[in-house]
Parts: sequence; C-alpha cells; structure tokens
Amino acid sequence: MTGTSTLRIAWRNLGRNRKRSVLALAAIALGQFIFLAVAALMHGYMDEFHGSITGPMIGHAQVHAPVWLDDRSIDITIDNVTSALDAVRADPSVEHVSARIYAPVLTALTEEGFMSFVVGVDPASESHDDGLLPGLDAASLMGEGRVLAGSGFARRYDIEPGAELALVGQDVDGSIASGLFTVTQVISSPVDIVNNLGIVMTLDDAGELLAMYDQAHEMVIHTRDLDTVGETVARLSAVPALVDLEVLTWREIVPEMVGMFEMVDVMLLVVLGIVFVAAAAGIANTMLMATFERKHEFGMLLSLGCGPSRLARMITVEAVILGLVGVVIGTALGLGLLLITQQTGLDYAALGGASDSYEASYKGLHLSSLVYPRLYASDVLAGMIAVFLTALLSVVWPIMRIARMEPMEAMRL
Amino acid sequence: MQDVLVGASAVTKDFHVGKITVNALRGLDLDIHKGDFLAIVGPSGSGKTTLLNLIGALDTATGGKVEVFGQDLSGMSRRERAELRLRSLGFVFQAYNLVPVLTALENVEFVLELRGEDGGRRATAMSVLEDLGLGELADRRPNEMSGGQQQRVAVARAVAAKPRLVLADEPTANLDSENGESLLKMMRQLRDEHDMTFVFSTHDPLVVAYASRVVTIRDGKIVSDIRKNSGEEAPGEGVEVRRKGTEPPGDGTEVN
Ligand SMILES: Nc1ncnc2c1ncn2[C@@H]1O[C@H](COP(=O)(O)OP(=O)(O)O)[C@@H](O)[C@H]1O
Ligand SMILES: [Mg+2]
Repeated sequence: MTGTSTLRIAWRNLGRNRKRSVLALAAIALGQFIFLAVAALMHGYMDEFHGSITGPMIGHAQVHAPVWLDDRSIDITIDNVTSALDAVRADPSVEHVSARIYAPVLTALTEEGFMSFVVGVDPASESHDDGLLPGLDAASLMGEGRVLAGSGFARRYDIEPGAELALVGQDVDGSIASGLFTVTQVISSPVDIVNNLGIVMTLDDAGELLAMYDQAHEMVIHTRDLDTVGETVARLSAVPALVDLEVLTWREIVPEMVGMFEMVDVMLLVVLGIVFVAAAAGIANTMLMATFERKHEFGMLLSLGCGPSRLARMITVEAVILGLVGVVIGTALGLGLLLITQQTGLDYAALGGASDSYEASYKGLHLSSLVYPRLYASDVLAGMIAVFLTALLSVVWPIMRIARMEPMEAMRL
Repeated sequence: MQDVLVGASAVTKDFHVGKITVNALRGLDLDIHKGDFLAIVGPSGSGKTTLLNLIGALDTATGGKVEVFGQDLSGMSRRERAELRLRSLGFVFQAYNLVPVLTALENVEFVLELRGEDGGRRATAMSVLEDLGLGELADRRPNEMSGGQQQRVAVARAVAAKPRLVLADEPTANLDSENGESLLKMMRQLRDEHDMTFVFSTHDPLVVAYASRVVTIRDGKIVSDIRKNSGEEAPGEGVEVRRKGTEPPGDGTEVN
C-alpha cells in the first residue's frame, strides 16, 4: 500500500472526524449484532420446534386411514398393520417407521379419577433419536402391564414409579375396555399429549386393552432425507398395501406450522431491514457530511485535473470500509453472544424478567423457555451484504454532487 | 521573439446572477510569453480570478478567444480541459491547496499519481521537496505546517510535474511579508532555473515588486501592462510603463 493509495486515504479520512465515524460504526455494529442475536434466537427456537415436529411428534410423513385426521375417533384404524409396516419399510428412502395407537381413557388412582390418554407404541422402533422414546431402554420398562407416564401428567397427579393405574375406556367395537397397569418410569417428551396426558404402553398392551388386533391409528415415518419427503410420499401412496390409506407429509399434516416457519423468515427479513436502515443512517450521514465538509478539497483536486471518478472512488471506498468494519464488529459481538449462550442456553423467562423458567405448549408441542441460540453463515452473510449495499447506496447522492461540481465554484471562499 | 504560451483576444466573460448579468471581463487582450513572471493586479472584483480561471481552463469565455499552448480552449470538453490542467498546468491557490490527510510528500506524490506517472513517484516527489529546501517538511501533514510552509509545499506540488505554466491566484494573500517573500523567491528561482512561466493574480505590492511584468486590470479591461527590464526585477528598478493602446499592434517583444 503506497502513501497515496485510495484505501489509505479513505482510512485517514475516516479518522478525520473520529467521533462521527465511531458513531456510524456503532450504529452499523449494533444493527448487525441485533440482527444476528434475533436470528440466532429465532433459529434456536424454530430449529428445535422443527426438530420436535419432524422428530417425535409428526415425523417426516404419516400414514392413516383417510378420515383419521378429521375425527381421531378410535375406530378409524389402519388394518393389517404388520404388512403395511413391511410395505413402508421396503421403500429405500425410509429410515424408520413405527405404528401408534391413541385412545382417551379414564384413569383411576386410589379414589381419584381423571382424563388421560393411552399412547400405544412399539418401544423398539421408537427408541431412535427422532422417536417418541429416544435413548430409552423402553423394552425393559414396558409390556405386560408396565407403562410409562408423562412428566406433566405424573406431576399433576402425584404419580410415581410403582403407582398402579386402573384404566377404563371404550374399545374399538364400542364395548367397555379396562385394565390395570403399573407405572415403571416417568418420561419427559416434547410431544404435549404424551407429556401432559400420556400413558405410554406397548402396542400389544394397547391392542389388548382396546381390542385392536393388528391395527393401529397411525404410522410415523422418518425418511433418510427430509428434503425429498414429497417424492417418498408419492411413491408410498402408490404401494398396493397402502392404497386405501392416506400418506401425507408433515407439511400437509400441520400446515399452520409451515406457515409459522415462513412467518419467522419474514420477521427476520424485517429485522434485516432495520439493520439496513441503521447502517444507511450511519453511513449516509457520514458520507453526506464528509462531502459537504470537503467541498473545497474536492474543488481543489478537480481544479488540478483530478477526475470526478477518482473522487467518487475515494468516498465509495470510505463508505465501504465504514460499513464493513462496522459489520465485522457487529458479527464479532454476535458470535461472542452465541459462544457464551450456546452451551448453557438462554432462558427467555429470565430475559423477560421472570425468576423461573417456564414450560408451555403450543399446538401439540411442549415448549421450554430455554433456547439454544443457533446462527447460520447465511445470516452473517445476509447482514454483510445488506450493509455493503447500503454503503454503495449511500454514496450515490454524494457522487452525483461531485460529478456536477464546478471546480472553481467549489473552490470559492 | 518569444514563445507565446497564452493568447487571449477580445475575451469577455459574463456571469448571470439571477436576472443580473455581471460583465466580469469586457474585451480583454493579453499575450503571456514563455518566461514571464507576470502579476495581474487590480482592485477586488476587477476580474483577476476570472481571467486566471479562463487561462487555467477552469472556465470558458463568453466571447473572444483564449488559446493555451496554441490550443483554443473554447472547443474543449470538460474532460479535455481537466486533462490539459493535469498535464500542462500547475496551480497554486490562495487556500485549501493541500489534501489534509496527506503529508507534504504524499501531496506531491498524489499529483504525480494523478498524471499516471508510475515508478519512482515517491523519489521524484522527495527530490522536488529537497530541491526547494522543503525536505524536512516531507512527513508533515498540512495541519502540522505554517501557512507559509503549506504554500511552499503547494508550489512544490504545482511544479513537481514540470508544467510549462504555473498559475497562482493570490498566493501570498494569507502570508506575512517574510513568508510571502520566500515564496516569491522560490518561484522566481524555478522560473530562472527551469524555464517555467508564472502568472499571479494579486493585491500584494511584494508580488508586484518581484514580477517581471505587471498587468493592471480594472472593470474587466487591461488598463496598463508594465514590463520591467529583464534581469532587473528588484523592486522599483528599470521599470518601463506602457499604457494600454499606446503599444504597437502585435507587440510581444521585450522592451529593454
Ligand atoms: N461565479 C460567479 N458568479 C457570479 N459572479 C461572479 C462569479 N465569479 C466572479 N463573479 C463576479 O465577477 C467580477 C470579477 O470577479 P473576480 O474575477 O473574482 O475578481 P477579482 O479576482 O479581481 O477580485 C466580480 O464582480 C464578481 O462578483
Ligand atoms: Mg480573486
């Protein structure tokens, strides 16, 4: 870099009014930081959300009897489940498939009676990471009258391992169903219904209780690649063993969630717009002031025969340096926040001033106020590009002024 | 005979300010010769700066003709005029001569770079400063120099690329007489040693004293053109006065 290089001149010019440059830098850095913080929180939240939905709750795709989703009545069943499962499993892109049974029952514990929900599952095929019982040696805890209880449910009714539950309900034929079960473990699940009402038992126990033999209400599918789930579903729909059934992607099952993810993207775009405005205010103000202040200097250089394009380049480089330094500082701050909060998570409740973390549920999802921020390279890049474009935009007017400048006019004292 | 660097004939320049027209120059004839150390004097508002701007290709005449190095300026585009200024003219202004963020050396270097000279620019710039006795100012920024030092650096910058003609608009206006004198000595030395031609607009008697030729304008017209005997440019010596209109037509010769 020689003494008169454009870069060096630009840098020194930014140092001329240090206070103003620092202020502009601060505005840009803060903008980028806020954008990254919001993006990281949103993604942390939404990715977990997304993971829960496409994990244990809905899976990537599901198979049911055609009207099950509208009605969820116990008698709307998938028959010949074993062969249906085999048919699904035969598809090369299917990684896991498991059948589930759902039935509302009345539970009696000593003298009390309350509403609960039987969830019948195959422990072996629900123990994978995205299953309903991840990492649990469920097979040894379930079967032959032994069941698991959701943590919210257990807390509410003081149910502890060893508790005996008497269940009464209606079986698939409309007759009275009843049975006695022992709780072996209390489990926490991101699926709201399991957590707050759930009595999780084996498919065999549930089938016996409800008189459902080789039947289930739903088959949950996890594919090897979520992006191509549409093609997998199309393929499965054509399989003979499944023709009378409905095969749907998670998007089709919970369209309102899909809408939510889209809304978050729009929100991030809005935040990005605010960053843009902050940067624009910082850079444009600086460049405008600088152009006014340096009128004589520019006039002198033009008088000497310096081309307006050279001056334009000078202030463009200045604006870009200002923007990029600001955005780099903002990014560093954002990454710092990420580093600090990534391990421990960030408690929304604490942010909002509440002393206790809370748990809540939304549309069947069980949510915690603890969020693990997550940042994508694309967010950082989006911020940088926004600032870079702002820098370019904010010199348009100054450049137009310079182009129209009459050297001796600008020089006049 | 001497080379004519600048030929101005019947030059007029009007400025329009709202509905008012200011006739800044009203039919002005002037030839500037190689080696002139010419002071244009006259009361404030008489048109000195306007004339200098026309000669310096910073502005175009309303009427008449201005030729610089044989080129008619009226037919030139903005860009061509900028190119002419950059290549063949040196400028020293009353103020705001230097780029504030550059050192003296870098200021000189910058014009060399603008001219597209490559290789050894820094060394060239340094030797220009040193030749003019400004070596110790090389690393100072304008705000670390006195007004006189700044003007001397401005002269160094103006002459660094060896222009044939240097134009200076009131170069000593902001200087005390001591600094003014050292600036003038520096420029006269450049004229003598490097065959450069200098044109000043000025109020300053000191500049008049150092000038080899003094042109007085009033109300946009030349009222006198005084040529001192060459070699005798000390104040008040060997002065010959010719009133405008008494000189023979086409006069361009030295009178001595
Ligand atoms: N750009 C301009 N617009 C309007 N009037 C101008 C302009 N430049 C000069 N003038 C007028 O032209 C006349 C000559 O000005 P100038 O050449 O600056 O005089 P001097 O340099 O001798 O003081 C003055 O009346 C001045 O007001
Ligand atoms: Mg003037």
